Amino acid sequence: MPLIDKISVELGAQEPWPKDVKLYQPYEVEQILLPDNANCLAVQAFLKMCHLDFQVEPRPNAEAMSPTLKVPFIKAGRFVTAELEGIVQFVNGKGISLTDKLDNEQKADMRAYMSLIHSVIEVAELYICWVDKETYNEVTSIRNGSIYPWPLNYIQNFAKRNQVIKKLKALEWYNKSIEEVFQEVENCCEALSIRLDGKNYFFEDNPTELDALVFGHLFTILTTPLPKSDLANIVRQHPQLINLVQRIEKEYFKKETRH
Amino acid sequence: MGTVHAKAGENITEVPDFGEKRVFNEPPETYSFKEIDLQEVKARVDRINVDGLSRTKNDIVEDCIKELFKAKDFQDVLLKAHRARVKLDELGCFKNISIFIDTSKGTQATPEGLEVTFNVKEHKRITGGVSTHVGNNEGALLVGMRAPNLFGRGGEYKWNIVMVLRKLATLTLTTSVFQAQSEWPTSGYKQLERGLLVDLGFYSTPLLKHNLQWEANIRDLNVLSRASSFDVRVQSGLSLKSALKHVLSVDLRDDLIFPSSGSLFQLTSEVAGIGGDVLQGCLSGGYMSNINNDMKISISDMYFLGGPLSIRGFQMRGVGPHSDGDALGSQAYWSAGMHLFTPLPFRPGKGGFGELFRTHFFFNAGNIGNFQLAKDNDLLETLKANMRLSYGLGVALRLGNMARLEVNYCFPHSFDKGDQTHPGIQFGIGVQFL
Repeated sequence: MPLIDKISVELGAQEPWPKDVKLYQPYEVEQILLPDNANCLAVQAFLKMCHLDFQVEPRPNAEAMSPTLKVPFIKAGRFVTAELEGIVQFVNGKGISLTDKLDNEQKADMRAYMSLIHSVIEVAELYICWVDKETYNEVTSIRNGSIYPWPLNYIQNFAKRNQVIKKLKALEWYNKSIEEVFQEVENCCEALSIRLDGKNYFFEDNPTELDALVFGHLFTILTTPLPKSDLANIVRQHPQLINLVQRIEKEYFKKETRH
Repeated sequence: MGTVHAKAGENITEVPDFGEKRVFNEPPETYSFKEIDLQEVKARVDRINVDGLSRTKNDIVEDCIKELFKAKDFQDVLLKAHRARVKLDELGCFKNISIFIDTSKGTQATPEGLEVTFNVKEHKRITGGVSTHVGNNEGALLVGMRAPNLFGRGGEYKWNIVMVLRKLATLTLTTSVFQAQSEWPTSGYKQLERGLLVDLGFYSTPLLKHNLQWEANIRDLNVLSRASSFDVRVQSGLSLKSALKHVLSVDLRDDLIFPSSGSLFQLTSEVAGIGGDVLQGCLSGGYMSNINNDMKISISDMYFLGGPLSIRGFQMRGVGPHSDGDALGSQAYWSAGMHLFTPLPFRPGKGGFGELFRTHFFFNAGNIGNFQLAKDNDLLETLKANMRLSYGLGVALRLGNMARLEVNYCFPHSFDKGDQTHPGIQFGIGVQFL
């Protein structure tokens, strides 16, 4: 099967970007959780940076529909591709790339920073949502369970929480205190801020998928109301990052509303 | 009733299973036996013992066996004892019933007196078990629990109602917790079901069986591969089904798998009984609609048609709408089947192994679709449009008393563009058949 999948991706790559591309994600208002929202926004930002047309299609069962069981995923013609890395690869296959001008060293750099965000900010978001009691009870359990009828919502919350906790244990994050988690995020923001170093984007004047990913996560952290606002406060202490987020929002998302 | 040979002087007769009527055709040369006409032997039942009762209340057992006291001769005793055994069996309280008949002894014994002893073994208060359940081309592990005879009254606590409806009414409560994993390559999805089923079965009249079922079921639907149709992918995820079901059945068949006479009315009906060959007809149908817009009908609920056990000559689920080769199902269907069963040609293994086999000729018809029950168009016309037909012949084998195995050669006669036909040899195994 994987071979067939690969072949189908290869074949799909030869076709131009279809018109009816749809991005599937959970409902933004009622359902979506912080980490998922960040990833969905990152993909949206990336596609917009590539000037590719797509429609956002909210579905309650988007997560189950996804081939990797993670949101978001896009459907382009007959092809279904999930998550930012997969989608970047898919888009590159069509000859569209944001990283053409980067040399190998810069590309490696970019990948390192992207993996930093995945392994720190994304994990911290999962920790806040599922381990922190206050956030879990007031936000996560209600939103995650909102699409299921009773008693499935309880069962599903329980199952999903166990799943996340298992993942956090494997990453050795579960036993961290919330202060330690915030410290990790602080360090990560510091590193990003230093890398940005006053430039418009991480790599000179053009955005890359790294910018999309940073935008997705930081914008979501800044705009999502949670019982604990510490995460947003940490990000606010880095004006460079705030500027980047505002720049991308203005450049790629505000235009849409003006139409 | 034929005559039964008894050895002179022997007076203990064990009737382990009197259900099968046996006629002994002794060759006339044998003189070691003396013929006795049982009707001539006067008999009177002095005593009836029932061994092995602990929970079951006396009165319901007494009701079953008191007829036996009215017996006048030995044949009558045997018949009535058998009838009592059947009644006891129908209470559903006992897993094993055997009968001993002896001459009565003691001071109060009459010269023709007999003593009948029923040895019964009660069901445990709760029985449970793990079993493998074979469905139509799928298997499932079933962990079940049953509480028969809950209150010592044949499982029946509404005793007043039962009095009116004669003693045949029994109430069985079956609870099962199940987890079933099924894969449907023809529809491009796999499904994990976890659920709870409570079934309350009772007879309202001796033949009318009701099953009230409540089923709560969590279904986790996933696509089988990346290649699965997007129309199927859209439906993946968890869903909860809570259903109340009423099954009304009248089963008059003499055999579950190869009936030769009798009929079953459920959703299917079988009419039979022409000479040695059996002509069997089935008709079934189904229709569903949304109760309200909040309730969704997913692919797990849809009706599918086609396959070796429904409309033969088509791929499994091969009739009806498809998307990228995956069957999507429809909200309504009807199907009908006509079978001509005959014993194997030249009757090999007659009376033994060969009885497990039948050759059959079949003719299947059906239709599936989202029929709109509008007033302005004729329902019959709607149902007839695009009707699928197939016919063929094959050999059927009975497996246990439960399932049927068929090897058929099929000719799909009329089909729709989207259908996936399967002409030629088709193999099927299952419990429910068209």
